[in-house]
Amino acid sequence: MSDNTYNDIFSAFRGDEGDLIAILLRIQEKFGYISEDAVKHTAQFLRLSENQIYGVASFYSKFRFTEPGTTSIKVCMGTACHVHGGKFLADAVSWKLGVSIGQVTGDRRFDFQRVNCLGCCALAPVVKINDRVHARMMVTGLEEILSRRE
Amino acid sequence: MSQNGSTIAVTIDNRSFDVTKGITILQAAEQNDVYIPTLCAHGDLSPHGGCRMCIVEVEGMRNLPTACTTPVENGMIIRTHTAQLQTMRMEILQLFMSEHTSSCLICDEKVECKRFMVTVRKASVTTGCRYCPNDGQCEFQDVAEKLGVTEIKYPIYYRGMRVETDDPFYDRDYNLCILCGRCVRMCQEVRIANVLAFKNRGRQTMVGPAYGRTHFEAGCEFCGACVSVCPTGTLREKTRAWEGKPDREEVTTCSFCGVGCQVRLLVKGNRIIGSLPADDSLVNEGQLCVKGRFCGTELANGPLRLKNPYRVEGETKAEISWETAISLAADKLSSCAPGDFGMLISPNCCNEDLYVAQKFVRVAMRSHRIDTSARFFYGSGLNAYTNLLTMSVPLSALQKASTILCVGLDSRFARSVVGVALRRASKRGAKIITIHPRHHNLAMIADKWLQPLPGEETGLLESLAKLTADARETNETRARSQSTDANHDQDLASIADLLRHAEAPVILVGSEFLQYDTSASILDAIARIAQNIKAGVLPLPSHNNFHGSIVMGAYSELLPGGLARAKGAQLPLQWGVEPPADNSCWSAASLSDKERMKTLYLIGEIPYSWEPNADFLIFQNIYPPDGFCHADLVLPAAAFAEVDGSFINGEGRTQLVRKAVDAPGGALPDWQILCRIAQKMGLSGFDFSSVESIREEISQVAKNLGRFTEITREPIPLPFAGERFVIKPKSAVDSRRSEDYPYLLTISAVEHSHRGFPLSNWVEGSKMLLTEGVLEINPEDAKKAGIARGDEVVVTSVHFEKVLPARLVREQSPGTLHASLREYTYFNPNPQPVRIRRQECSG
Repeated sequence: MSDNTYNDIFSAFRGDEGDLIAILLRIQEKFGYISEDAVKHTAQFLRLSENQIYGVASFYSKFRFTEPGTTSIKVCMGTACHVHGGKFLADAVSWKLGVSIGQVTGDRRFDFQRVNCLGCCALAPVVKINDRVHARMMVTGLEEILSRRE
Repeated sequence: MSQNGSTIAVTIDNRSFDVTKGITILQAAEQNDVYIPTLCAHGDLSPHGGCRMCIVEVEGMRNLPTACTTPVENGMIIRTHTAQLQTMRMEILQLFMSEHTSSCLICDEKVECKRFMVTVRKASVTTGCRYCPNDGQCEFQDVAEKLGVTEIKYPIYYRGMRVETDDPFYDRDYNLCILCGRCVRMCQEVRIANVLAFKNRGRQTMVGPAYGRTHFEAGCEFCGACVSVCPTGTLREKTRAWEGKPDREEVTTCSFCGVGCQVRLLVKGNRIIGSLPADDSLVNEGQLCVKGRFCGTELANGPLRLKNPYRVEGETKAEISWETAISLAADKLSSCAPGDFGMLISPNCCNEDLYVAQKFVRVAMRSHRIDTSARFFYGSGLNAYTNLLTMSVPLSALQKASTILCVGLDSRFARSVVGVALRRASKRGAKIITIHPRHHNLAMIADKWLQPLPGEETGLLESLAKLTADARETNETRARSQSTDANHDQDLASIADLLRHAEAPVILVGSEFLQYDTSASILDAIARIAQNIKAGVLPLPSHNNFHGSIVMGAYSELLPGGLARAKGAQLPLQWGVEPPADNSCWSAASLSDKERMKTLYLIGEIPYSWEPNADFLIFQNIYPPDGFCHADLVLPAAAFAEVDGSFINGEGRTQLVRKAVDAPGGALPDWQILCRIAQKMGLSGFDFSSVESIREEISQVAKNLGRFTEITREPIPLPFAGERFVIKPKSAVDSRRSEDYPYLLTISAVEHSHRGFPLSNWVEGSKMLLTEGVLEINPEDAKKAGIARGDEVVVTSVHFEKVLPARLVREQSPGTLHASLREYTYFNPNPQPVRIRRQECSG
């Protein structure tokens, strides 16, 4: 992550305080997370302190501060998914991968998170693996998908 | 109900008031003595509306608006204490309490507990809950009491977080935090330091710096402003915690640097328990730095403070009475020839002490041999620095300047009050240019940061002086300059342009370059730039009363009034004595082993550079001499909070020092000790009864000051007098790095000192912040040289070899080293190329 990557991102902005969230979004898009280094560079560009930027970024659950794993697993725990057994799916992932919600496996291959709604409640319960939404997921099906990826 | 353009009529709790337009309901209520409970509102901060305690009913408004965020409107009918409001407030307060340890608020045995807290047993024991040191001075407690909350309906959700004690001077217990956001607003709005922020969200919300860093790592200035506004015991001073409420306060002038902030000393019994900024609009505007806020208390209360005079014979110390001590001193001094005597007095002393001291030397000792440590500190730049004092402008000039040039100024710990003013100026749109060899706290706000290599700043400032001299010349110089670094030149030219077209520019002079060999030419160049662009200069002396030491004449070359003493000049008529026969100028910097003196008198000074070489050494200070100095007679002096007097700050403002507490034991003010010795020696003219009588004499003797009986705090720059001191500037030494000596080492004096002692000697917290005696090295360089934190490093140059512990500092630029040392004058030239290696432990 050279300075140039950051400069490319920053070149689209004027450097106002209000650009902060847009910049953070771009950084996360590019690197997958907000690193300490990214916060430092953004602080220099916007003339804000690293503490202020971290304060804003940590408010939004969208932003993450740890490097993600290669495969992202998002288990929905929204109302509809929850009543259809979302929690069982989450437990299954935990068992299978040996990580709890918000963690990354030791080999950095899987990244396990919960989300509160993916906006497709009619398909509940859903699990999103990378960009694909798996509808009406069941524990056995999920285990199968995971073993295929392992 | 009268009503004109600026006031409007409102009704609060069925009473009508005329209030100013534009204020909030809370302000209107406060102005008219109507109580509305609140936890997050604070007079110095913007409205927040976070605690919801100040909800009120306003007729015609939906819901219950918060009084602190709602502006008054004409004809508003406001109710502040209806039954519904009270119930809701109680409810909200109980929600707070479900997270906040609350045995001091609602415990059944609260009253009995207070009464029987101290239990008499064989050894007395204090019982009761001890969650928070602010019991009895807590705003949360006040509000709970006023609302009459007696129980909590909600479950207890204490957060169980670790108390953060890693930082110096204050601890943080976020279990007590109610997230009112006062500290965050203080840090972001008033101090503009931006160290504190709200982190995370919902129940996880916390206050603190990014990534769980400590405040020190996050760039905190330790000004303590957040601690002052905390309504609970979350933020607590390490030394003041558990002290309880102060009995009284005394406003005085801070004695740790030449800014001259006004502080409120909090006194309990006969002890200072803390200091807070005074609400003073002339200098510090309610702000302080770490030294003024935290260091004074520990310094004044140290258990090792000198209490009684003692004499040292061989290895034994014998406490003696004041009478014996005075006669011993008088004896030694009467038998001492003028040429065998010398006195060093600290520029931390009050004007009155300095005046009496120089009068003592000239009248009693018949000599001009008096000096201060400013002579070592400023070295060859002393003359040039004093000349800058003649151009000084008030601090308020920063509010109007469109461009501010800072030379060698770092305002993180020292002079952070000026740093706040700079950040305010920057917010207002002023351009800040800073010249500093290292990463420093102004780099963040500076529009341009010039980072010269040590040794190159003279050239940089001189070319800036040339560029600012004349517009036409600028172009010529620009055309002529054939430097390899074209970018750098362009930078300089644009800065010169900025400076030339600036409105009311100001130049601030910090202390980074003062011990360099080339300091004289650096300071001269600053003076020339100032003349070229008609800028005001704000030298910010490190010694709180450096200005005073000049106008009191505490130097061999000067007389009271601060003007150069002509050869054979008469002494003031009032003294009634002929001038001393010995006319020569004496400088303590020239003392060496060759010149052995009979008697040396040190008032608040410890010269580190040479072994004090005298047959008899009188040591007068607030703490006993340390390893650097062997004293024969030790006299206990009173510290700044224990005397009346006055200081003159860098702007030339004379400000009062007021006695807050009695000095420990038999310690006396410096002037009283000197007067008693002089009287014992049988001299007249030393029968001063108070500091007022000394001021009376000063105003008669030094007519050009004309302000000493009535101190008006009007800033008066030093009168212009050309050359004051007889020091020749040093010629620049070649300080280029070579293969053998690949690092550039700069040495500076221990700036954070008081009466000769580094603050870190006596103030625990400053050991971490205001370091001395360590080698600061960039982590990359350290890695290359195989040096880890705390390793002993051997620093070798052509001239010397010294072992210093390493401290890895990101701010230090690669290829350079820095150390601030007490014995700095040993290490010439400065800066100089060195090589380093880790000291291998033997055995």
